[in-house]
Amino acid sequence: MKGMKGWVLFGVLSVLALTLAACAPAATPEPAAEAEPFKFGLVLVGPRNDRGWSQAHYEGGLYVEENMPGAEMILFELLNPADKPEATLEGVVDDMVADGAKLIFTTSDEFEEDTLGVAEKYPGITFINVSGDDALTGEAPANLGNIMGRMEDMKAVAGCAAALATQTGHIGYLGPLINFETRRLTASAYLGARYCYENYRELNADDLEFTVTWIGFWFNIPGVTLDPTEVTTNFFDTGVDVVMSGIDTTEGIDVAGQRAAADEVVWAVPYDFEGACETAPFICLGVPYFNWGPAYLETAAAVNDGSWKQSWDWNPPYWEDLTDNSRTAAGWVNGEGLAAELQAHLNDFISGLASGDINVWSGPINLQDGSEYIAAGAVASDSEIWYLPQLLEGMEGPSE
Amino acid sequence: MRIPPQLERIWPSMPVIGALLFTSVLLLLFGASPLESYAAMWEGAFGTQAKLLSVIAFWIPLVFSSAGLLLTFKAGLWNIGIEGQIILGSIGASWVALNVDAPSYLLIPLAILASMIAGALWAALTGLLKTRGGVHEIFGGLALNNLAIILTNFLISGPWQPPEGGTFRGTQPFQDGVLLPRFADSRFSPLSLVLLVVAYGLVVLALRNTFWGLKLKALGQNARSAFLLGVSSNREAVIAMMFCGALAGLGGGVRVLSWFDSLRQSISGGIGYLSLLVVMLAQFRLLWVPLIALFFSVVLNGSITLQLRTQLHSSLGGILTGITVLFMLLFGDAKRLGFNTLSEEDDDE
Amino acid sequence: MRVELNNIRKSFGSVHANDGISMTLESGRVYGLLGQNGAGKSTLMKILAGYQSADSGEIRLNETLTQFDSPAAALRAGIGMLYQDPLDFPPFSVLENFQLGRREGIFLDQKTASRELLALGKRYNFDVDLDERISNLSPGERQQLELIRLLAGGANVLILDEPTTGISSEQKQQLFDSIRKLAREENKTVILVSHKLSEVQELCDHVFVLREGQLAGKSEIPCPMDKLVKLMFAKMPPRSKRPAYKFGQAVLDVRDLHVETYRLRTENLNFSVRAGEVLGLAGLEGSGQDLLIKALAGLLTPKSGEVLLRGEDITRRPFHQRQRAGIAYVASGRLEEGLIADLSLVEHMVLSTEKPGFLVNWERAGEATQDRIAKYQVVGQPASRAKQLSGGNQQRFLFAMLKPALKLILMEHPTRGLDIRSANWIWDLLNKRRDEDTAIIFYSADLDEVIERSDRIAAFSGGVMSRMVNAAETSVDELGHLIGGQQ
Repeated sequence: MKGMKGWVLFGVLSVLALTLAACAPAATPEPAAEAEPFKFGLVLVGPRNDRGWSQAHYEGGLYVEENMPGAEMILFELLNPADKPEATLEGVVDDMVADGAKLIFTTSDEFEEDTLGVAEKYPGITFINVSGDDALTGEAPANLGNIMGRMEDMKAVAGCAAALATQTGHIGYLGPLINFETRRLTASAYLGARYCYENYRELNADDLEFTVTWIGFWFNIPGVTLDPTEVTTNFFDTGVDVVMSGIDTTEGIDVAGQRAAADEVVWAVPYDFEGACETAPFICLGVPYFNWGPAYLETAAAVNDGSWKQSWDWNPPYWEDLTDNSRTAAGWVNGEGLAAELQAHLNDFISGLASGDINVWSGPINLQDGSEYIAAGAVASDSEIWYLPQLLEGMEGPSE
Repeated sequence: MRIPPQLERIWPSMPVIGALLFTSVLLLLFGASPLESYAAMWEGAFGTQAKLLSVIAFWIPLVFSSAGLLLTFKAGLWNIGIEGQIILGSIGASWVALNVDAPSYLLIPLAILASMIAGALWAALTGLLKTRGGVHEIFGGLALNNLAIILTNFLISGPWQPPEGGTFRGTQPFQDGVLLPRFADSRFSPLSLVLLVVAYGLVVLALRNTFWGLKLKALGQNARSAFLLGVSSNREAVIAMMFCGALAGLGGGVRVLSWFDSLRQSISGGIGYLSLLVVMLAQFRLLWVPLIALFFSVVLNGSITLQLRTQLHSSLGGILTGITVLFMLLFGDAKRLGFNTLSEEDDDE
Repeated sequence: MRVELNNIRKSFGSVHANDGISMTLESGRVYGLLGQNGAGKSTLMKILAGYQSADSGEIRLNETLTQFDSPAAALRAGIGMLYQDPLDFPPFSVLENFQLGRREGIFLDQKTASRELLALGKRYNFDVDLDERISNLSPGERQQLELIRLLAGGANVLILDEPTTGISSEQKQQLFDSIRKLAREENKTVILVSHKLSEVQELCDHVFVLREGQLAGKSEIPCPMDKLVKLMFAKMPPRSKRPAYKFGQAVLDVRDLHVETYRLRTENLNFSVRAGEVLGLAGLEGSGQDLLIKALAGLLTPKSGEVLLRGEDITRRPFHQRQRAGIAYVASGRLEEGLIADLSLVEHMVLSTEKPGFLVNWERAGEATQDRIAKYQVVGQPASRAKQLSGGNQQRFLFAMLKPALKLILMEHPTRGLDIRSANWIWDLLNKRRDEDTAIIFYSADLDEVIERSDRIAAFSGGVMSRMVNAAETSVDELGHLIGGQQ
């Protein structure tokens, strides 16, 4: 054993010697200083390659680096108590500030409260909390803003696609857990579906069935949440032929793909990630996704030249081209499952939304309990949409 | 191979030197400068008062659960379920924080007591599964760990979700009165340190000077002989588990009451597993446990700064601790390190 | 093959394991090798099988003087030994294990090997599943496999060391059938090492009896049981003068007790033991006396019957309650059952204290331990660890830990491994306990000890307890009959 240890030591030392010899002269090359360096921090709750929420933010950060001369990202991923029980947002921000970051994005509502704290601690640094509302409610100090992509519009587009495709007139929505955000997204999908069912299919929108099943969390936790695979299966067994997903994972389109392979006529609309159709492209009607790059770039530029002002940005999509990732905050890509004549209708719907001719949030809109929410002739305000208290009349499924 | 006396003298530092060398190679391969990296880690752990306090705040629950494990290891039990016991402790404290309305001087002791009871009961389950059901404590513990995580998720997305609806993050922030008074805006609470010193002292006393500690020792070394000498192995096993669970639960309580201010989805994040490592590396020697726990806290906290400076892989901190552990095991020949035998710690210090 | 052993000697330290043993074995016959534990059977067979070498003496195979330096060399010469613990390699499959034992050539010829293995299995009526892991086999199946390996390796002389330990009775019959076949049809020489008389009677043609390293005698089979017993055990020891004790009331009453394990059952046990009385249990190891002792200690739950301690029913009381009620149990394995290797003597002493209190006063406990080990002549310090003591001192220390004022002491092999002087010392101390009305029940492999130390003796044979005999009046003849199972 002693001999063994000697050899291990010897091995380690020789590897070290060789590596030192090889690497010693190779100092890190300094990038040619073309522009004034601008450092910004990006804090992710998940890994940078999760094919979902966190990856979208990471790509947004890369977009800033590519498009703003001198921009340099300081990344910290996996800031959550499961992966890094020892790390806190405050500690990470301390280091980012010490390293010269002028702007820090905290990209989860999980960071909302802590972001408020560090923003008070570092008044000279600009903070952006994604999906929070502190700048709207006025709780935030002047150096803290919020950004959110207006996914609601894309959910309306997704709902429209579902309504155009359904043969049974029954759409299933796979919901995560119930809060303001998920309520307004689901309601937008329903309103989009209603509009298209009535105006393009020329059917009675009140006949359209729209069932929401909340599984209880953003992803499947055996024994705690409903199993999304079972929920989707159950949808298809009870007359649903289009499943829309609002959860982080891909069970909806997975099950639809299997059903389609067994010659059933079904479709799916996944969520969150631009490439989410990949698992079963032929039955995918399209996918709504977030695109943070343009908003991040704009913010970074504004902070850099001193023109940034606190705001609560609910950034709309770029209606001219919903797949233009240099402009849009939320995107929609058509799926292969969307037939050509349906695409025409959908394009018409999209241009209607773009021009303002169509607003799915125009009254009369009643809440699920039958009470009037938006009167006939009125249009819902941003905050009425943001803080939607219940699901809408006509939707099946619990509101709280 | 006969080890020359010069080498013999520096042998105890071999794991550290070995880990440093190996890590340096690794950093060079990643294209980072080892010296700058170590400087970054040092700064990350000791650079400012805030960092130092963060190191201590993370260290406290780690030592709580390590202290508990000293009892179960002594009794020859592999209490893998420590992770779940920490989680249940935090749930116990959260229950008080969310449901009890009382002045702070009552609320804090209540929350701490609740965390200890919850942890102890959860640990008792593992113990009873072993003694009554014949389920080995490793399997029972792992199952209960998962169950504890499921229970947390259920609570934060169900009965305890904040009024605006369930989100990823956890319950709403607790009432101020239940939070342990923190030092200088940090997550470190001096009260938790006082509790730790008392708890650790009691564990040391129990192991060295009580009849119960002796029974655990006998049980851990030879359960059959201990039984014949009159030690009721089942009873002592469950009691040892419960005390361990109470300490781990207290750690979980400190975690929600001072590190966080609410129950989160993953309250422990592996502190329990880390404490298993601490106790094994300390070879169950009482005075080494807090030091080794401190070392882990320093490395992990330092790695945050290291990761930000170097922008290397996010699990760098985990890799560094892993390498150090490997080297400790590799060079950690008990005798060479000046240890006596595994079992003698409490007589010899 | 004809095997001659001439004047084999082998010593371990001062112990003469084999003290000039000679015997001749012919082919085509089955020999029994009998003897108590420690009589020298295993040593002799290990010498023959090349596992260890003799200090002096010679081995002749078919008249040729032979010497082996390893079991492999012995097997090449035709001698194979089946050990009590199989030498196979558990993680491997049956086939792999078989090939491993053969080591022929560089390449593993799976086909030939599996054909050969299956053929041998068929010939001796063993079920062989080539792909099964060794670790999944029962001890009996592993034994069969090992036997096949030896036969394939060319063994003409087969030595089986206590082969029936731990195997089912069905497998035992299978084994005996194949042994007979090997001797009768294939002219092998078979040696069965055993301490079970019935097996030797059932299977063997001849028997050799060893005692204290010497050949005590040999005989054709069948042969009367008591003759074998007399050969195995020494002559009637001269009984030392003992003060006559006046026995008190019955301490222990056993009524219709039935104890059973998966290996053995013993039932219809009915007897009483009076205060101050010593009951010795004789019999070959594993005949049921151990079951009785464990049932009385509370370590085995009886199937039925009653145990009364001073009239109180304790049949269902667990071990610790009986301990508190005044029953002490001294097991045979010291460091496995009774002492804890790494604990110090003080710690042992504190553990065995009745009411120790919450905090331990180590200083006072140290002094108490010092007194006790001085009284029991234990060579060691209070701080010594149990494993640092010699065997004899460990045994003495076990007795030093016995509580005062016990009602009943149960012992297994109380003086095994002790020299005469220590044994006398222990028994003197035990006898003093009789004044405190303590009753003693013990069993020992040493028949002399049973006869000398007991007031009454009962013998066990195959789970059956004999009538009680008065130790002062019994004879080796009588005990031989009883141990052999005749009433």
